[in-house]
Amino acid sequence: MLYFVARRLFSALSVVLATLVVTFALFFIAPTDPAAAICGERNCTQERYNDIRENLHLDRPKVQQFAEYTAGIFAGRTFETSGVVQDCKAPCLGFSFKSNRPVTEMLASRIPVTVSLVAGYSVLVLTIGVFVGSMAAKRRGTTADRVLMSSTLVLSSIPYYIVALMISLYLTILYPILPRGGYTPLSESPGKWFAGLLTPWLVLGIYSCTQYARYSRGSMVETLSEDYIRTARAKGLSDRVVTYKHALRSGLIPVVTIFGLDIAGSLGGAIFTERIFDLPGLGNLVLSSLTTYDLPVIMGVVLVSSVILVTMNFVVDVAYSVIDPRVRLS
Amino acid sequence: MSIGSPDSTVGVEDHPASAEPVRSATVAHGKSPTRIAIDRLRKDKVAIVCVTVVVFFILVAALAPLLTKLEGSDISTFNADLVDEYGYPTIIANAQHWFGVEPKTGRDNFARWVYGARPSLAVAFVATLVGTIVGVVMGLLAGFLGGWVDRIISWVIDFVLSLPYLLFAIAMVPIVESLRGGSFNLSPSEQASTRFLVLIFVLSFFGWAGLARIIRGEVLSLREREFVLAAKAIGVPTHQVLFKELLPNLVAPIVISASLSLPAYVTAEAGLSFLGVGLIEPIPSWGQTIANATNWFKADPLYLWLPVLGITVLVLALALLGDAVRDAFDPKTRR
Repeated sequence: MLYFVARRLFSALSVVLATLVVTFALFFIAPTDPAAAICGERNCTQERYNDIRENLHLDRPKVQQFAEYTAGIFAGRTFETSGVVQDCKAPCLGFSFKSNRPVTEMLASRIPVTVSLVAGYSVLVLTIGVFVGSMAAKRRGTTADRVLMSSTLVLSSIPYYIVALMISLYLTILYPILPRGGYTPLSESPGKWFAGLLTPWLVLGIYSCTQYARYSRGSMVETLSEDYIRTARAKGLSDRVVTYKHALRSGLIPVVTIFGLDIAGSLGGAIFTERIFDLPGLGNLVLSSLTTYDLPVIMGVVLVSSVILVTMNFVVDVAYSVIDPRVRLS
Repeated sequence: MSIGSPDSTVGVEDHPASAEPVRSATVAHGKSPTRIAIDRLRKDKVAIVCVTVVVFFILVAALAPLLTKLEGSDISTFNADLVDEYGYPTIIANAQHWFGVEPKTGRDNFARWVYGARPSLAVAFVATLVGTIVGVVMGLLAGFLGGWVDRIISWVIDFVLSLPYLLFAIAMVPIVESLRGGSFNLSPSEQASTRFLVLIFVLSFFGWAGLARIIRGEVLSLREREFVLAAKAIGVPTHQVLFKELLPNLVAPIVISASLSLPAYVTAEAGLSFLGVGLIEPIPSWGQTIANATNWFKADPLYLWLPVLGITVLVLALALLGDAVRDAFDPKTRR
């Protein structure tokens, strides 16, 4: 077990390191002049340009620049813009010369939005998605099951952003049946927070429920045909206990695996939802940074979400091997 | 569902593997797995409808210049006389503009719609082709050679699969543009063609890894089989073992993966264009039109619905077709 965890940890760390190198290479080595790219082309003065070159030590060897960037993540560093020294604290992911703020600070202000979105989404897919899937598995082969499964196949084949956009345009703007998307901090007004997030939750949740229903149906169908389920039934346990206590427990394992990776993916990538429903989360930050060519911010988000994804991958793998010992042997 | 009709495997059972089959010139001998799958697809009504829809879109894309000539307009002519002072189109449809004109610019909707089918299909097909070739070669090499080649390729596969692909796709755009001298120094058509290549690169870069992993797994079990051993024993060179002996046995996973990645790439292309990081003017694309049309959807619903329906129907047909192909090739449903 320990050997397995150590091996997975080593490979996870190697992937994180490679991600760091690749993103750094993309942003600092690929552009012919990173200072010009960071400075932008519309309102870049010579003074600002020199500031950036100076701060990032762009005249020094690339390896040293990389070492400084990496050191900044663990120990923090300082930047100087037009004479003012800016402190970039410990997890320093660089400095946005466009908005004169450390990237970490900008990310931190957006994270609550994305986390709120993903939290509500998780509740929906894990309750409705799994429930519908297990109901379908119990009624396998009936007309209800067939209709449900083919309708989920059709719905999940339509691109997500089309569904979200059409609902946003027609059901929140033209005919305001659902509240319009928006973000108010939970601490400010829980009611407004809930109302603004309700539509995005429903749209993202119900769309993804179709996939979760399919996963959990597949896994429940397999579990329900196992011998121990027959034993449980033979003992005279009620149908409800057999389905939800005996079968669901092991039937949920593969679903939870997918859920872990899905959540990690959405934390960095709920871009369409945030854009369509106007939520100022991480995805929207990337898009707005793109229009201003604010490369350090994009790099920061890419790095953070890659690390979240790799970490989640590792956690899911280890958790899986704890639950199912067969995984360790392969 | 019509899957698994018993008569489709009749030819296989008729001839035991050990006996020398008596072949007559007219009666078909036992069917190959691919043949069986194609026969099953032919009987699948959903698959036939989907193929028809996909062929329709391919024809629209291929015949776009002809269709616009037939209508009598083109994609780039501004018709300022057909929009009012606020930018709203003054006509809904006429003989010259079958689906009306765009708000603000007055360009022809029909022409932009038929031309919009082109980049979607081109990006999807090219990215699928590149991703499939790279995936198959990498998977074959990793599975067959083993050792350090396998370790390196497997690590790269894990690495690629653990990157957030949407974010990387977005991040690639400004980087490639600054590599080519910055977006402000490029002419619009240069910038648009750069975006086109970036899209294909990003999609195939993130698309090959999944297939490579599947192929590697398949090869790991195939390479222990007798026919591979026999080929090696009589001194067949490695590349021939890979491509003449192993590859024909990998048709099913390759076809399945390619048919499932087509709808995914059409979706991704239009999605990225919608976000503003995909295709840009002057190349007409559905995703871009949708992004513009959201500002006019109340006054001019047709402008929004044309590309929305285009993408939805095309992706739906491709996805259901992919599903049918998977069922047809899956040996589990063959019984």
